[in-house]
Amino acid sequence: MIPILFMVLVACSNNENETGDGEEVVVEFFNQKPEITRQLEELAQTYSEQNENVRVTITTVGDSEGAAGLQAKFTSGNPPALMMLGGTSEIERYSDTLENVSDLAVTETMMDDLLEGGYIDEQLLAVPLNIEGFGWMYNREIFEQAGIDPEAIETYEDFVAVVEDLDQQKETLGIQEVFAFSGADQGSVNQISAHFTSPEYHRSTLDAYEAKELKWEYGDRFKKYTDLFNEYNVQPVLSVSYSRAVEELFVNDEVAMIHQGNWIVPTLNGIDPEFVENKLGILPIFGENDEEARIVAGAPWYIGVNSDLEAPVIEAARDFLDWMYLSDEGQRVIVEEMQFIPPQEGYVVENITDPVSQEIYQEMLNENNSAMTHNQYPDGWFQLVLFPEYQRYLDGYSTWEEFLNNTAEGFEEMRAY
Amino acid sequence: MKNRHGKLSYGLFLFPSLLAIVTVILIPLLYGIYTSFTNSDGFNMDFIGFENYIRLFSDTQFMTSLWVTIRFSLVAVILVNAIGLGFALLVTQKVGRIRNFFRTTFFMPNLIGGLILGFVWQFIFIQAFERIGTLTGIDLFSGWLSNPNTAFWALVIVFVWQMSGYIMLVYIAFLSKIPQELIESAQLDGANSRKIFRHVKLPLLAPAFTISLFLTLANAFKVYDLNLALTSGGPFRSSEMVAMNIYNTAFLQYQQGYAQAKGVIFLVIVVLISITQVYFTRRKEVDLT
Repeated sequence: MIPILFMVLVACSNNENETGDGEEVVVEFFNQKPEITRQLEELAQTYSEQNENVRVTITTVGDSEGAAGLQAKFTSGNPPALMMLGGTSEIERYSDTLENVSDLAVTETMMDDLLEGGYIDEQLLAVPLNIEGFGWMYNREIFEQAGIDPEAIETYEDFVAVVEDLDQQKETLGIQEVFAFSGADQGSVNQISAHFTSPEYHRSTLDAYEAKELKWEYGDRFKKYTDLFNEYNVQPVLSVSYSRAVEELFVNDEVAMIHQGNWIVPTLNGIDPEFVENKLGILPIFGENDEEARIVAGAPWYIGVNSDLEAPVIEAARDFLDWMYLSDEGQRVIVEEMQFIPPQEGYVVENITDPVSQEIYQEMLNENNSAMTHNQYPDGWFQLVLFPEYQRYLDGYSTWEEFLNNTAEGFEEMRAY
Repeated sequence: MKNRHGKLSYGLFLFPSLLAIVTVILIPLLYGIYTSFTNSDGFNMDFIGFENYIRLFSDTQFMTSLWVTIRFSLVAVILVNAIGLGFALLVTQKVGRIRNFFRTTFFMPNLIGGLILGFVWQFIFIQAFERIGTLTGIDLFSGWLSNPNTAFWALVIVFVWQMSGYIMLVYIAFLSKIPQELIESAQLDGANSRKIFRHVKLPLLAPAFTISLFLTLANAFKVYDLNLALTSGGPFRSSEMVAMNIYNTAFLQYQQGYAQAKGVIFLVIVVLISITQVYFTRRKEVDLT
């Protein structure tokens, strides 16, 4: 059975090579975000129609399997021409086979802060895909009902007062608890940590990537926030999953705040089209000191061009990338259909789809954001060390001291390896 | 002449499966063992000798995972076989048509893949249990997947639920092979049904135990999908079994050489335990002929 299967597979792959008139250039785009597959395919089709002899195909392997899937593409000897890469460490892993993209037309238009994460040995090897940002997502309606003006929160103490105020009005507001932090979701834990590691690394993704150790200089602030939300959180905090927090508690007005980013917008729109427009807001976090609050924003994903292919394929891949970000059709799909915050300067803020995304874009333009340092931790550190250790602390199994020591130790060890 | 022809066709028929075994099992296995002596990150590799194996002994998380896996397998094997045998005895009673219905029902969980099953039960443990907890006020029902102890038992429950029906089939096959006259003559000798079970059925079921124990043991040791979907190793890696630990090392930390070393050790352990088990249960088997 298996040999037959092999033969069938071999036969299939032979056929593929022979199709077309021999001049057709096939550009494969490796996508790691399943939620934009349809939109990417639309872009690929439009581009292929406009360019004879070029066919762009989209391969999607998503969620946590994307990185392993990309590696499989390379080891199988069938690497893609364009690939979505999750941050500097993945860019470095493929650095030997990535094109220098500093001379692309699109590069000129990208925000400098974002490009920083695409540099390996002073060579720009990838361009940012989009901007994502996160902080406390809050329900504006609930805040209003409670008589709280989010604009008036100017210090950490103000924020604590707001939380206590909301807690006291729980019954009249009809909320279960103030917060629904997803203690079961490793992504959420990783993200919240960025507020407190960003200042240590001078709000630079590159500094964070090159750091040999994590001293937790702002660890006491992390503790403050952790203890605060955990006291007013839906319990047991460790069984609050991402989907429960977003798709049940938050969207149904059962909690006032969750720690998430603008990626929840499409999900919320799918459940309640009114919610984002009328109720969604984002609050920054006082990660560095009591007076300055920031949201974390940056580019979690980059796109790289494979340099190890034939010249026409590389050429087509580069051209597609330019077209995707510079043409009107491309920009429309990126902003309206993917609902992305574009990584380029020069967009009219009001044209970005929702208020929260507009705010994140504005903060990026103002360079008032914290950096996405959480994408620069050593491979596997947040899944295998930070997340479990944080869970331990949340559940009372260990002290904050132990949390700081164990995570710092793991950081150094895994970075060194 | 005829003999030579026979040998040739024998070889020809053997060739495809031999080729399959060599290409998809033997070569990857040897390559895997080689990789375990390198510092491979999946892309580049250098030979580093026994370093990975030495590192293993000080890897507390791996040891924890191993211990969890052993505990899990032990409990799961006992429960699956006890319940599977119980089911088999129930549905081989002469109760008419309805027994086919029960056979199907008991077997059903096995038709659902481990991943789906994990998500279904995640819903049960988190939503349904929580609801029961708040309705009855019994604390036992709350936060099953967020406590290391209950998370462990949650895994056991789902695994047992999934496997028991399958193991039941094995026992049914052997129970229905027991000659009726043996049971009748035992009855004539005045044995009650408990005695018949203990002294007639049980010894004849020994080969079934060999198979079932082997199947459950191997499956329990290697479980991954259920682990991933139900607890994903949580809370705080307390329910992370060896298969998941290896996967995480390979694809989260990209230390594929080290992960291979863990894989080799894991293989050795599973093989040793399986062989020992088969050896001991074989000795209990009786031959009717």
